[in-house]
Amino acid sequence: MNKFLIAAVSGLLAGMAAPAVSAQAAQPVELKGDVKVVKVVIENGQEKIVLIDPKVVVPGDKLIFSTAYRNAGAEAVKDFVVTNPIPAGVALAPLGADKLEVSVDGGKTWGRLAALKVSDAAGPRAAEAGDVTHVRWVLPVLAPGASGTLTYNALVR
Amino acid sequence: MRAAWGTATVAALGAMLAPGLAHATGVSAGTLIQNTATATYTSGTSSGSVTSNTVTVRVDELLDVAVAGLTTTPALAGASNVVLDYSITNTGNGPEQFNLAVNTAVAGNQFDAVLQSVVVDTNGNGTYDPGVDQVLTSGQPTPSIAADGSLRVFVIVSLPGTATDGQTSQVQLSATAVTGSGTPGTVFAGQGQGGGDAVVGASTATQSANDALIAALAAVALTKSASVVDPFGGNQPVPGAVVTYTLTATVSGTGQADNLRVTDVIPAGTTYEAGTLTLDSAALTDANDTDAGEASAAGIDVDLGNVAGGTSKTVRFNVKID
Repeated sequence: MNKFLIAAVSGLLAGMAAPAVSAQAAQPVELKGDVKVVKVVIENGQEKIVLIDPKVVVPGDKLIFSTAYRNAGAEAVKDFVVTNPIPAGVALAPLGADKLEVSVDGGKTWGRLAALKVSDAAGPRAAEAGDVTHVRWVLPVLAPGASGTLTYNALVR
Repeated sequence: MRAAWGTATVAALGAMLAPGLAHATGVSAGTLIQNTATATYTSGTSSGSVTSNTVTVRVDELLDVAVAGLTTTPALAGASNVVLDYSITNTGNGPEQFNLAVNTAVAGNQFDAVLQSVVVDTNGNGTYDPGVDQVLTSGQPTPSIAADGSLRVFVIVSLPGTATDGQTSQVQLSATAVTGSGTPGTVFAGQGQGGGDAVVGASTATQSANDALIAALAAVALTKSASVVDPFGGNQPVPGAVVTYTLTATVSGTGQADNLRVTDVIPAGTTYEAGTLTLDSAALTDANDTDAGEASAAGIDVDLGNVAGGTSKTVRFNVKID
């Protein structure tokens, strides 16, 4: 308990002025979020899909949200669970949604999209990608130095 | 602690928006899409959590429009102005004004209507209310239309003098986003609602629709004939003979003759026979009263009102040769 408090305080200090080293020591895992927009460009008469920084985004555009993780500590990290609420204004894209562990009830229950149901005015129905409220990834072990990137595709509503 | 609070808040938002895509035209221009991931883990005997940086995407304004002609059966154009009915729908995701243009010279027209005015259905009742609904001056854009909103527009036209009965014509109304239009994907930097860019959508941000009208005109032919009955049982125009004048007004065409009036003077050397004025064989009083006609020593005057094409009206009266 004491240790946790100290860590929290040093983190706050790091945010203000203190050297960043103490914060890293408290958090062995780093998460870095990013987003790209998927655009189709015509190059030499051929369609080409490119990922670019989302400078111009309109409804219907496809976004790829990514979270890069890295175990920067000296010890292995276990039960590593990354939870990502789907932001307001986007929907999980149907393409690739079946490969993710998702929730349609705000993160209370989890499973594959095909196994989930939602209720609306007409009664229970099979959940669709647009119903998803959260995605998550579960990694049992992160060895020291292990890193990777977790992504999901979203459509701007 | 901070991470947990943030997660809970976003989860509630997510639950509110799900399921389904709520808006036909998408999230409003200027909306910020913010994504944050949180990780929990155990390390040795302790557990921890870490929150990623928040990435933010601002939704830009999509410029899109749809125009529909609401005058489904061609409007009948006679002597008075014709009201053509259109709707303009902002299919973009931000409020937008639109410049309107009327083209009366549509290819295939048998006549080109004369533009009188372009009017916005200010009170939203779907009916042209002169003096209430706002007239747009040339070059004046529409009031701002909300995303997903529609605006009714009336185009008031009249027939040109050259139009003949039964000819058809179309009038085109086009609407173009004030911010800009062009090839889908064209970007107007910094000009979007909410501080972002404006981007032309699939409609090219300019659309048009036609309404049709038909010239419904009427022609009036008037014929006059006389028959004489003399006091001797013959047909000679001698003093004392009675002359019956028959005036026939024949209206042809698909329109109507408005305010048709038949007048005649009593010829010199004759005297009107009181109480002989008739309209389609029905008697009319000589007095200037509620019935359609009046007659005096000077002449007759019969008000036929509006007479539809394809009908004829017959007025008769008698005079006696002095």
